[in-house]
Amino acid sequence: MTGSDKTEHFVQQLATHQNRLYGYVFSLLGDHTRTADVLQETNMVLWRKIDEFQTDKAFLPWAFAIARFQVLAHLRDKKRDRLLLDAELAETVSVETERQAQHLDELREALRPCMRTLSAGNRDLVERRYFRAMSISEIAQEVDRTVSAVKVALLRSRRHLSECIQRRMAAEGDA
Amino acid sequence: MTPDRFKELNSLLLDWEEGTLNEAGVERLREILRTDDESRAHYVRLQMMTAAMSLDGEAGLDDFSADDGVTQAIEDVSPEDVSPKVRVPAGASLSRYGRWMLAAALLVGLLAGRLIQLELADHADKSNEGDEPGSSIVVTDKRDESEEATSRGVALITRLVDVTWPADQRSMEVGDALPPGAFEIAAGYAQIEFFCGATVILEGPAEIDLKSPQLATVHRGTLRAQVPPAARGFSLEVDDLKVVDLGTEFGLSVTDEGANVQVFDGEVELLQPQSTKRLLTAGKGLVRTPDGEYEETVVTPDSFLDIATLESRAQGQHDERYERWRSWSEELRRDPRLITYYAFDQTDGWNRRLTNSLEPANSELDGAIVGADRSPGRWLAKSSLEFKRPGDRVRVQIQGEYGSLTFSCWVKIDSLDRWFNSLFLTDGYNKGEPHWQILDTGQLYFSVRPRERGEEGPVDFKALSPPFWKPSLSGRWLHLATVYNVPRASITHYLNGEVLSEASVPTEKMVEETRIGTASIGNWSVPTQADSRFAIRNLNGSMDEFALFAAALTTDEIKEIYHNGKP
Repeated sequence: MTGSDKTEHFVQQLATHQNRLYGYVFSLLGDHTRTADVLQETNMVLWRKIDEFQTDKAFLPWAFAIARFQVLAHLRDKKRDRLLLDAELAETVSVETERQAQHLDELREALRPCMRTLSAGNRDLVERRYFRAMSISEIAQEVDRTVSAVKVALLRSRRHLSECIQRRMAAEGDA
Repeated sequence: MTPDRFKELNSLLLDWEEGTLNEAGVERLREILRTDDESRAHYVRLQMMTAAMSLDGEAGLDDFSADDGVTQAIEDVSPEDVSPKVRVPAGASLSRYGRWMLAAALLVGLLAGRLIQLELADHADKSNEGDEPGSSIVVTDKRDESEEATSRGVALITRLVDVTWPADQRSMEVGDALPPGAFEIAAGYAQIEFFCGATVILEGPAEIDLKSPQLATVHRGTLRAQVPPAARGFSLEVDDLKVVDLGTEFGLSVTDEGANVQVFDGEVELLQPQSTKRLLTAGKGLVRTPDGEYEETVVTPDSFLDIATLESRAQGQHDERYERWRSWSEELRRDPRLITYYAFDQTDGWNRRLTNSLEPANSELDGAIVGADRSPGRWLAKSSLEFKRPGDRVRVQIQGEYGSLTFSCWVKIDSLDRWFNSLFLTDGYNKGEPHWQILDTGQLYFSVRPRERGEEGPVDFKALSPPFWKPSLSGRWLHLATVYNVPRASITHYLNGEVLSEASVPTEKMVEETRIGTASIGNWSVPTQADSRFAIRNLNGSMDEFALFAAALTTDEIKEIYHNGKP
């Protein structure tokens, strides 16, 4: 394989797996802004290490390994900030995260029909909170409900969605 | 891990996202995550869901209105719309996600010393006139909810012989997955393979209720169950009687006179409340009368059809269907409306020429097979062509000008690997030339180019069906047809004889004179853009029969093609 073929292949892989890498990093950091930063660093490191990239080997495990390293470095770096997981725990959780991040596309596929099973009101809340990144207090104001009422509805919807997605993904695997 | 812990995690995460989780809360969350794998798995599930929703939100996929069944026609191509699955709303400002995607693209592009076409990079070469790029972008999941049920199945139908269906049940086909619930046949034989590994041959009239991959309730009918060791524990219920298989072959017949259980091999356990369990061994049979009494009975294996016999009956049906198709096909060959027709019934596997089946014969219309290998067709007696590698195709050359067109073919799709998956694509896609293909979203896609290259004019009208493809259709023979009706200015897509969608073509985009010229079946030979994602369109699957008519066939005629050709 020539150098430019390899580059092309690499870029293609990087683009194909961006979303999975996003899901991976986000799950360990729980923060969209930090995730964007770490993902960008990860992309850069991946690019610098293109020579280590072997086209006949799976791209994703390699990329996950580098992403994990970047996440851990970030957590150690920002130790004094408000963080969800510490480095040690992130390392422990990373195994499961890697497993699930591989199936992010299936999750997104399952998400859509599951969203439709929510009541219109709850779907609206979930859309505002998670698709449009509004805060709960903003939502509460807009829909004229109390913060705690919105919270309860969101919690219930999240549980419902998570179960629905899990069922669907399991069923897909069956047939 | 109790659901309470799940609930607590859920609630802690919600507070975290909102920025209201205090130090103690963070510590509590970490403590839960340190306890066991299950809580970690649950945590990651919630986080992945949040990430997925955010990605979908950024991609503009936040419209959940049910818009099934409506033909999507996307007209204007904007260069930023390059991903086939993701629609970026017009004028969307660069969002957080967009920014880092773009940053990644720029970074990589810069380092590589050339602009690389990443998902959000400018895809279409402006000087180029590809009419059909990315706007294909339709929200992916518009599959019918009832269709989705098939992937929640507990068993598969693997053979149907002479089956008639009760009037109130829709007919099913071999390969269909059965969800939990009632399954009924009025007559004939159905072979059902439960996901646990047990195979049941059901003789109609029969009515069963599937409960799980290893349990079903039998209301009436005769069946034979074959249960390999791996599926041990497979059970059938009749009222309150439970027949548990211990690795064996047994028959069960349920009528008004009671339940008759006969063991041909191995042993079976009979469980009934308020009664000791009974073990039934090979060569033994028991009848349980409606009042709960047991009577010994003689074993009559012949009254329970076995798999081998069903196989030979299925073969008979198979041959019969093949003969039906053959005599229908002989008729079709003389249809004056045919532009070209390939029946794929040649027996000379080495021949790289795909002989057209028209009568009288016209060797000018023979196709040239490139790469594609012969593989089994819908019936053993005939072959198909398998398209696998990016180079595989059949080249054809068709002269003349036409008006309305009807495309019809039988395909077995293994998967939709490409952004565009070719059925039939004209080389240059010039004015009046059609493109017939399937998008990776599982939508049938037909268009005719309305203007000459290099001229100003309207872009093509893209008739997209709703997504019809789902992975469970993989490996099954499907009949696809598309009718381009010039007088009515409409494009109709069909799957297995049923209308998928019908769209009206706006006047300014309507092309009355169509032509083919050189074209490829199963691929695209002369891409108008170099980008591989756009250009590589080989089909991953097999084709068995392809017909092109210079006329708009009616729905009844399409149905007839399907019924005479279904394997």
